[in-house]
Amino acid sequence: MSTSRRDFMKVFGAAVASLLVMRCQAIAPTPTCYVPMPPTSLPTIPPGSARERLRLCWRRFGELAQATVDGSNTQEGDAYQNPLGQQMITEHRAALDEMVVNGEISNQVAGLVHEAYEAAVFHVWRSNVMITCYEPVMVDYAPSSADVLVKQAELLNEIAGQGSIDAETLAKAQAALEHDMAFYQLSDEDVAALYDKILAEAQAQGQAIPSFEALEMEVSPEAQEAAQFIITLLTGK
Amino acid sequence: MSWPRPRLQSLIFEVTQRCNHACLHCYNVWQGEDSPHPPYPRGELDTSQTLALIAKALDEVDCHHVTLTGGEPLLRRDLPELLTFLKTRQVQTTVISNGRLLDEPTVVKLLECGAGLFELPLLSHQRATHDQLSGAPGAWDAVLAGMANLRLHRGQFAVAFVATRLNIEHLYPTLRLASAFGARAVMFNRFNPGGRGRQNLDLLLPNPEQVRQALQTANAAAAELRLPIACSIPIQPCLVDTRPYTNLGFGYCAAGGERAYYTLDPLGNLRPCNHSDLILGSLLEERFAELTAPARMQAFTQAIPAYCAGCERRTQCQGGCKAAAQVCYGALDAEEPFLRLRPKN
Repeated sequence: MSTSRRDFMKVFGAAVASLLVMRCQAIAPTPTCYVPMPPTSLPTIPPGSARERLRLCWRRFGELAQATVDGSNTQEGDAYQNPLGQQMITEHRAALDEMVVNGEISNQVAGLVHEAYEAAVFHVWRSNVMITCYEPVMVDYAPSSADVLVKQAELLNEIAGQGSIDAETLAKAQAALEHDMAFYQLSDEDVAALYDKILAEAQAQGQAIPSFEALEMEVSPEAQEAAQFIITLLTGK
Repeated sequence: MSWPRPRLQSLIFEVTQRCNHACLHCYNVWQGEDSPHPPYPRGELDTSQTLALIAKALDEVDCHHVTLTGGEPLLRRDLPELLTFLKTRQVQTTVISNGRLLDEPTVVKLLECGAGLFELPLLSHQRATHDQLSGAPGAWDAVLAGMANLRLHRGQFAVAFVATRLNIEHLYPTLRLASAFGARAVMFNRFNPGGRGRQNLDLLLPNPEQVRQALQTANAAAAELRLPIACSIPIQPCLVDTRPYTNLGFGYCAAGGERAYYTLDPLGNLRPCNHSDLILGSLLEERFAELTAPARMQAFTQAIPAYCAGCERRTQCQGGCKAAAQVCYGALDAEEPFLRLRPKN
């Protein structure tokens, strides 16, 4: 599988952002009876070095998530335009440019680091911004929970009793629901066997899931350097 | 000159203008007989031209989700080819259909070709009301069969409930029916006039009090049924205070931004959204970034009714749906039909 440098950096940036903001959802700090609330505002005096300013940019995803949620809830401002995100991207680029001038990072690697940052900002913002007037509904593709399925079964039985729905349609709806419910009756061993069966079927059809080594991800040295740069930046080394 | 590659969350593609239903509330811009604008261009490209159009769009925008709609998209016999092509480009898809043609073999075929989410109408728990609004006898039975076929084959679908005067009081039992059939989400869309719907405006447009009561019902049902419900057609806060309905999602117009839903018609014309008849230009002749440049979109994005000038929520609400204002009254900054129901001082 061939992955372009840009695609690799985008995915890497979004992954880092997700780690940093706990699955991209803004979570308010919880005070305890003797631990004071951490400061919620940013330092008013920006850190001195370009590296420190760059690190601060990567630490602002929680703030971006919260600002996006607040913008959505208060119904004020222009949340769809992501003003804070745009400001963060500008500040990130400026800090990187300074590091390029200082010889701390090559122009090419800086470009890839910035690519990752832009993708991360977009990912956090999109995960928190309100829906639009025509939103392709965000669907959870995991199976419905067991209690939802039980509720659906009750409703379906009730509706079936009314006799208004075509019998064949009802039978299919009930069969589909029973399929879904059967999943929750499987033991761990059953589930494992099911996965093995699916993998075997895929293998037989020439669609085997490749091993990690077989993926042949073509991540360029520059992209690897950029990813390593971000990790080093965030781990404070 | 090098053009940027805009990032979009989703692109809407109207694959055909043909339809086998005649919904009273249809907003398709080519429908209706009393348009204030010249007739909308009609027709569609053939398969190879359509695939080339989709490829050009995907080359020119950074977008990983395409919604296929119409008309009725299943009337295009090459729909599986279009879905397969999108799958090979690693693009997720949503298919908006009336469900009429979702028999079991078709469902299996479309799922194999990569169809992701289906959006299907369920306008009432009563056959007669659904069929009346759909303008097609048998529509209710067909869409329920389509839902059952989808679930049976591990497909996913969301239900669209278009709230009109004729069905808004059916919301609760309709949500229960949607849940029983396995809908993963519901879109509660208040009727937004356009297309053929313009002709039925007085018959269908609910008043703010009816919408408020429906939101109360939906809010309680979302919790009871554990069913995500999104109210995506704008509901102006000056008409209905939406804040108490914390289980529901509310949306406003995002035209011009990354979350805009630019709409490509079957001939390659690009519009700001699927409710708007404003053609920005042809994607066959110009690049996506040219067509969506701020200068072209300015008239759309900056339009706002005079009534909203002093409102602190105008930046977000934008007066509601300006596309509806344009197709109903010929001006983007006119008050759209629902806003005209505001209390007059």
